[in-house]
Amino acid sequence: MRSDPGHIKWLIEEAAIYKELLKRWLDPSNLERLRPRLEFQTGVLAGFALIASLLLGVTHCSTLEAIQERLDEDLQKSLAEVVPSTLHDNDLLQDTVTVPSGEDNLGADETTVYIARKAGQTTAVCFKLAAPDGYSGAISMVMGINRDGQILGVRVINHAETPGLGDKIEVVKSDWILDFSGRSLLNLTDAQWAVKKDGGVFDQFAGATITPRAVVKATHRGLQFFNRHRSELVGS
Amino acid sequence: MSENYRKIMRDGIWDNNIVFSQYLALCPLLAVTVTATNGLGMGLATLAVLISTNGIVSVTRQLIPSEVRIPIFVLLIAAVVTVVDMVMNAWLHELHKVLGLFIPLIVTNCAILGRAESFASRQPVAPSLWDGFMMGLGFTMALVVLGAAREISSAGTLFANASLLLGDGFKFIELTLIPDYKGFLLMALPPGGFIMLAFIIAGKRLLDRKRVANKAQAALLSEAIPEEIQ
Amino acid sequence: MIASRKPSSGAHIGTNTSVQHIMWRVILAISPATAFGLFCFGWPALNLFIVTLLSAVLFEAFCLRLAGRIAKPAIMDGSALLTGWLVAMTLPPWAPWWIGVAGAGIAIILGKQVYGGLGQNLFNPAMLARIALLISFPIEMTTWPNVAPAFSAQAPDFIESWSITFSGLGSIASADAMTGATTLGYIKTEFSQQHWLPDILANHSIFLNFLGWTRGSLGETSALLLGLGGVWLIRQGVIKWHIPVSLLLTVTLLSSVFHLLDSQHYISPLVHLSSGALMCAAFFIATDYVTSPNTPAGQLVFGAGCGLLIFVIRTWGTYPEGAGFAVLLMNAATPLIDHYIRPRIYGRNRNGKPLEQKITVQEREQ
Repeated sequence: MRSDPGHIKWLIEEAAIYKELLKRWLDPSNLERLRPRLEFQTGVLAGFALIASLLLGVTHCSTLEAIQERLDEDLQKSLAEVVPSTLHDNDLLQDTVTVPSGEDNLGADETTVYIARKAGQTTAVCFKLAAPDGYSGAISMVMGINRDGQILGVRVINHAETPGLGDKIEVVKSDWILDFSGRSLLNLTDAQWAVKKDGGVFDQFAGATITPRAVVKATHRGLQFFNRHRSELVGS
Repeated sequence: MSENYRKIMRDGIWDNNIVFSQYLALCPLLAVTVTATNGLGMGLATLAVLISTNGIVSVTRQLIPSEVRIPIFVLLIAAVVTVVDMVMNAWLHELHKVLGLFIPLIVTNCAILGRAESFASRQPVAPSLWDGFMMGLGFTMALVVLGAAREISSAGTLFANASLLLGDGFKFIELTLIPDYKGFLLMALPPGGFIMLAFIIAGKRLLDRKRVANKAQAALLSEAIPEEIQ
Repeated sequence: MIASRKPSSGAHIGTNTSVQHIMWRVILAISPATAFGLFCFGWPALNLFIVTLLSAVLFEAFCLRLAGRIAKPAIMDGSALLTGWLVAMTLPPWAPWWIGVAGAGIAIILGKQVYGGLGQNLFNPAMLARIALLISFPIEMTTWPNVAPAFSAQAPDFIESWSITFSGLGSIASADAMTGATTLGYIKTEFSQQHWLPDILANHSIFLNFLGWTRGSLGETSALLLGLGGVWLIRQGVIKWHIPVSLLLTVTLLSSVFHLLDSQHYISPLVHLSSGALMCAAFFIATDYVTSPNTPAGQLVFGAGCGLLIFVIRTWGTYPEGAGFAVLLMNAATPLIDHYIRPRIYGRNRNGKPLEQKITVQEREQ
């Protein structure tokens, strides 16, 4: 890059010329003359499109990292609720296995399983799953299971159930969902994995059976999914 | 403050309020006003968009040929809304989780295009910014009033979760007005929004009518008195 | 030769059908079913009934006062009382008092007075209230007590009844044992459990259902008494036969066809017809003058529409009972029906063209 005084002076002069041109061009009377012309209209539209794209691009780049961080925080927060931090010393988000789960009816063809390890030893796994048969649409949940197949916890991440009725599945509204902790396929039979109305061990809510039924069934399916892939998830 | 600016303020807040007088923007209005906090968040986001678009449109109004003004307005509004969406997702994440679905809907808020078309494209920058601010303020006010009315009647609380929006310092405005309230679910559902909106609009029109009647009476009195003196 | 300056007869026929007259007839017709319901469900039902009626009249008086009208004559016509009565009939008999107050408030204020009062409303106020309550308070609105006739051993005593109505069913220790599902609700839950029809209804007597000896809304259990009241109203000329007949026929026809095709999954017409809510809707709700079409043909269409919707909602909907939704939806269609099926103006045909004159001017002069 040349930076001798003559060159800089030349640049300033050049800029002044362009500034004068722009000023003349932007003069209302000149714009008045230009506006009816088709090429001007096209040009202006294209100009605005360019500015809008630039604006979006810049914002996207500057928020990309922050948004990803927030999403990771969200995921980490929900995973931390079902896998206590005492059980692992690794970063759950980095230690994942993807398992095909199309047959397990977990709401996705592939399930990402987050592995919790302590001193290299697998202590627990957790994964997201969905109950497709909620009262108003799918209920998405996350569940944690320890290496013995016992449930560490289940939490609902997102749902559209009736407020005041089906939303007791949220842990902030009721501690119904804590009832899953410690349950497994070993200490309950398949028939017991149901709400009381259907002959199982889990409470339903007054006035709402469909929501808890969907959650219980999905949790049961989650356990079965874990059982089937146990060897590849936990190892021995 | 000159008369012009005062008129813009009166129009935005009361006389020509987007919701209560123009009956515009009802779609985002009914969708988000389940609580006062949501209303406030949506209102502020709309306010930001309105000021930005009004400002940009007003600055460039000489440049924009009337034949292509609508595509340009839509383009600008869409871009600004998307920017607001991304910014909120990044730095007001909890609120974005609640309002996320509705922020893109601001694009379809006809009031914004309406202000660009009917005000900003014909007026200098300063009044346009002021108009955007006042219209946005009026809209925010409408959303908060409706949200508060629906929240109180449907859940018995006011400004629940306001600290997510305003920071923990505002925890004190989260009120439970009716303890052990059963909850009147209808009011949280869209029909409840329509019913509540209807009552509020009826109330506003009642006030307006009274004001006009009072003015007429005052005018009548001031006319009558000189006659008596004569 | 004018004997008296008073005209001997007017151009219009006067009848005894004032609003008041009609309202009291309807109230008389629903009284037996209501009385039976009050007997079946005892004191709590009576408490709720009184609370609902009282608040309906008070809300009416309040609204009239607000509108600057004189309240007394409008209240004496009995329309508010009837609306309150119909609301009370559709409530679960042991619902808490505030359900009754809220129901009466919704019916009178939102269902009737905001439209401008009697005769102006688009939707049936009682059904509007019932549906709004059902959506808003699903627990209270679907808690059905067992039949426990007044003065019998299993009926709650006076003090217990008081706390059921005024502090809620939860205040009674044995609440769970005293409640259950309605027949239609029971069928719906059993279906979701993959249990099919003949087994489900093995322990249900359709005849008892028809009599009204079953769980259900306060005054809507007895299809028999409601049906009799309705037939009496038709004989009295208060309501016409078109809506009830087309409604009941549609439900019967549709359910018969489906039941014959697949008796496992579709309940028989007898079960449909033995439900009191259907009878109540057919005779007392859908026939509301204000919210149903004016012409007989329009009324036939209206009734058939209601019947179709009731069947569809009961069969495939999430709610076990569809009468309220069906009537409201058809209420919304009433202006449309009246638009296409217009009443004939006197002296003109349906299209508004003058009828051909049979008698010419000349003939008349002769």
